[in-house]
Amino acid sequence: MSSMTMPTPAVGSTPPDEAPTRRRSTEMWMMLFACGIVAFAFINVAASLKDQHLSTIAEYMIIFLVIVFGAHLAVRRWAPYADPLLLPIATVLNGLGIVMIYRLNQAGRDGNPSANGLPIGTLSASATVSQIIYSVLGVILLVLFLAFIKDIKVLQPFTYVFGLAGIVLIGLPALLPSSISGVAGTTAKIQVSIGGFSIQPEEFGKLLLAASFASYLVTNGKKLSLLTEKWWIFSLPRRRDLAPIAVIWSVSMLLLIFESDIGTSAVFMGLFVAMLYVATGRRSWAVIGFLMFILGAFLAAELVPHVMERFTVWLNPFSNANLLDGNQPSYQPVQGLYGMANGGLLGKGLGGGQPFWTPLVQSDEIFTSFGEELGLTGVMAILLLYGLLVQRGLRTAMLAKDDFSKLLASGLSFMFALQVFVIVGGVTNLIPFTGITTPFLSQGGSSLVATWLLVGALARISDSARRPAPKPIQDEGMTQVVSLR
Amino acid sequence: MTGMNRPIKRIALAALVLFVVLLLDVNYLQAVQAPSLANKPLNDRTEYEQNQVQRGNIVTADGVTIATSKPSKGLFPYQRVYPGGAAYAPVTGYDTVFSQAQAPNYATGVERAENDLLTGTGSQLAFRNFIDTLTNKAQQGATVQTTINSKAQTAAYQQLQATLQGKTFNGKQAVGGVVALNPSTGAILAMASYPSYNPNELAVQNTTTLNNVDNELNNEDPSPLLNNATQTTLPPGSTFKIVTTSTWYDQDSARNPEIAVASPQPLTLPNGNTLSNDAGETCGTGAPTTPVIYAFAQSCNTPFAELGVQLGGSKIKSMATQYGFNNSSALNIPGVTVAPSNFTAQSDPSFTAYDAIGQEDTTETPLQEAMVAATVANNGVLMKPYLVQQVTASDLSVVDQTQPQELSQPISSTIAGYEKQMMIAVVQQPEGTGYAFNSNNEGGIEIAGKTGTAQNGVSAQSDAVFTAFAPADNPKIAVGVMIEGGGYGAAAAAPVAVAVIKAYLATLGIQ
Repeated sequence: MSSMTMPTPAVGSTPPDEAPTRRRSTEMWMMLFACGIVAFAFINVAASLKDQHLSTIAEYMIIFLVIVFGAHLAVRRWAPYADPLLLPIATVLNGLGIVMIYRLNQAGRDGNPSANGLPIGTLSASATVSQIIYSVLGVILLVLFLAFIKDIKVLQPFTYVFGLAGIVLIGLPALLPSSISGVAGTTAKIQVSIGGFSIQPEEFGKLLLAASFASYLVTNGKKLSLLTEKWWIFSLPRRRDLAPIAVIWSVSMLLLIFESDIGTSAVFMGLFVAMLYVATGRRSWAVIGFLMFILGAFLAAELVPHVMERFTVWLNPFSNANLLDGNQPSYQPVQGLYGMANGGLLGKGLGGGQPFWTPLVQSDEIFTSFGEELGLTGVMAILLLYGLLVQRGLRTAMLAKDDFSKLLASGLSFMFALQVFVIVGGVTNLIPFTGITTPFLSQGGSSLVATWLLVGALARISDSARRPAPKPIQDEGMTQVVSLR
Repeated sequence: MTGMNRPIKRIALAALVLFVVLLLDVNYLQAVQAPSLANKPLNDRTEYEQNQVQRGNIVTADGVTIATSKPSKGLFPYQRVYPGGAAYAPVTGYDTVFSQAQAPNYATGVERAENDLLTGTGSQLAFRNFIDTLTNKAQQGATVQTTINSKAQTAAYQQLQATLQGKTFNGKQAVGGVVALNPSTGAILAMASYPSYNPNELAVQNTTTLNNVDNELNNEDPSPLLNNATQTTLPPGSTFKIVTTSTWYDQDSARNPEIAVASPQPLTLPNGNTLSNDAGETCGTGAPTTPVIYAFAQSCNTPFAELGVQLGGSKIKSMATQYGFNNSSALNIPGVTVAPSNFTAQSDPSFTAYDAIGQEDTTETPLQEAMVAATVANNGVLMKPYLVQQVTASDLSVVDQTQPQELSQPISSTIAGYEKQMMIAVVQQPEGTGYAFNSNNEGGIEIAGKTGTAQNGVSAQSDAVFTAFAPADNPKIAVGVMIEGGGYGAAAAAPVAVAVIKAYLATLGIQ
């Protein structure tokens, strides 16, 4: 199907003058505002902690400004019609993440308070610098993506390449020995760690799988949607068409069992089901996918003690058996809850809380340190930023002119929403706690770089979607000649 | 193609629902659930925050600082210091940098009871803290002023120490306690215990040290951590005759101290056993009857044992209960752990005979001793003892103040007058058990008291008890003293009480 032959009415009436729809200046002002928030947060931390060097903070801030405005310039150059909210939201979230990691890194250093007077054991002295380097890498990847992928549809043909690569990246840690793939202090096997440098390949695997699903569903979506079997009163997909969902379900279950990674498995399943639903418009797929995941989760809970433990901790976080006895499985989530409770409505102020009591507060639990220091007010703002990013992504999907773009944009956006839900719901004990990353905020390069890439993909799709239809070269009669790039 | 927009809208709606759920969730957690999470197990945050604040001082009524926080270079910015040391340990208790969840022995005494105000986190201070936040002033703990008089307290501890140091009972260190009350308010003027401990040793910033010191003190027998002034009960001996005669007077308004009652030697009990006076001496002139006041002053046993038999256990128990016995809930005193004093109504009158003279299963604390004297001194009205006088915020405004509270009225003012008359006789009359020390040691202050020498199973070492108030005509202080294995009440316990009385009255200008 060719999508460029006629102006899409959905875009609305495109004004003859295309300049106002670019909104790049809006983006720039919002970027400045975002950077202002980040700088203010940095100054906040510096003011409330002891022995702070403004020159260091200024250095960090300058690097940060350079990269995010680099991203802005790249968008101006290569995706001028991209949604103007994507980049500012990413900027403020990434910046706050850096500030929080800097703040956590200061705990126990330079006479600043910490649990035992020592720095957080799982946070190296160079964590802030690393996080900034990862931000730089993430932005560079976004720039390269925008510069070289001029049209997202160039990715469409690689259905099975991406699919296979995605599964390999996600499955790799399960095959490697725990010494390489295990995350210290947890039973999860989700990384590849060699010589002090570690990446979490699943973060990239998720993106590849999203692209793979999108392209698979562009070709097979109609089939899945039209050919159904009547089963009692339900009209269900043909059994042979169930194969792909079964494959994905199996991969997701294997993730659960071999990598002890419930969170990613849920996000992954949700991504697939959402895209299937978008492609077919049939709710039965959503229901089937959801039921399959629930079934799988219960099976996993029965089979894998670690998964079962997560459930018991979720139901009874404060019971003596979970909190005080044995290896204290609920210690970490409960400390996170205590942190958020300590923050209350307005928070203790950046640098004023005690997030250092919570184990792995810089990664799994970073949301709770925002809860403690910025309070309910702060976390609501963060959740609204996330929500806004998701809604901009889904808006992009609505505006997109081709199925692949629509599927990819909606899949990526929903996956992002689901990831936020799983981790934030997890640390607040709304759902069982699972150690997945908090987009943009958590310490760790893979997640940060992959999330910037996700923003890059959304920017590329929204650029195409919002780009006004090519102007007719002549305007006579019914026949029009259009430029096809 | 545009057919996908409907499902995408639904997906957008689903995402919106997810975020709305998360927003409700964080609101519930941080706005609703938060206060209840603050004191859950292993929540170190509250205690940690309290340790960042300069904890308020604990001072005596006359302004002597007995607990303070000094800047420290340790893990926490302040170190708790107890300038009063062992003498004030039963009052201050101690405080560590730990929370109850971290160490159940984290704090005791006033330090524990007034923790919220001392750390400045109490709800009464919330508004001031808010103002301090706005004006960027560091939060400071409130000052707790106790009712303790430093002169009386020092005298009480020094006398106890002088009396008990190196003395053993049943092969262990003998214990003793002193409580002095203001009879008209119930304010605790002195509360001393021996053996005591140095709270500075427990005000530590390290759980291992805390537990080592705490275990060491707990394993000592008797443990110095026990406040013998309020937690150790001993037989009151003859001092209980105040309660027995109160019951007797209360039965018939015609009764007065001059009425003669049977005073055999020995008394044959209903069960055939005999009960004797001290050292088998005769009561009064040896006549078959003796006036109550004379028998009381000489502290004969048989007349009061006989009264006990006649009155019966339940009547005496009801009187004792009004005096504060058997009643631990009424003695819920912030900052003080009180063990109940006991009087059991025995059905066998032979046992009641012993109970009535403060033996058998009648036991009480020095605090209860002081309360009995205070009741008599206060015309029959028992005021509830209290230790915390008032709490002042860092801006010197009063946050909390204890109002004197009437606990009960065991006896009428007439009966209180009779008891006072009898207690004066103990000290003033030549036959009185307290006459000897009074004529030797005492100056112009008229003291009313009652001695007790309670048998405890160790023949040569009776428990010495003395309960007194002074000045007899206008009582300002009531004292209860108990010395385990001290011997005669007049010899071992009375001098301690007199020293406390003198020290306190001197501060009032009464000499």
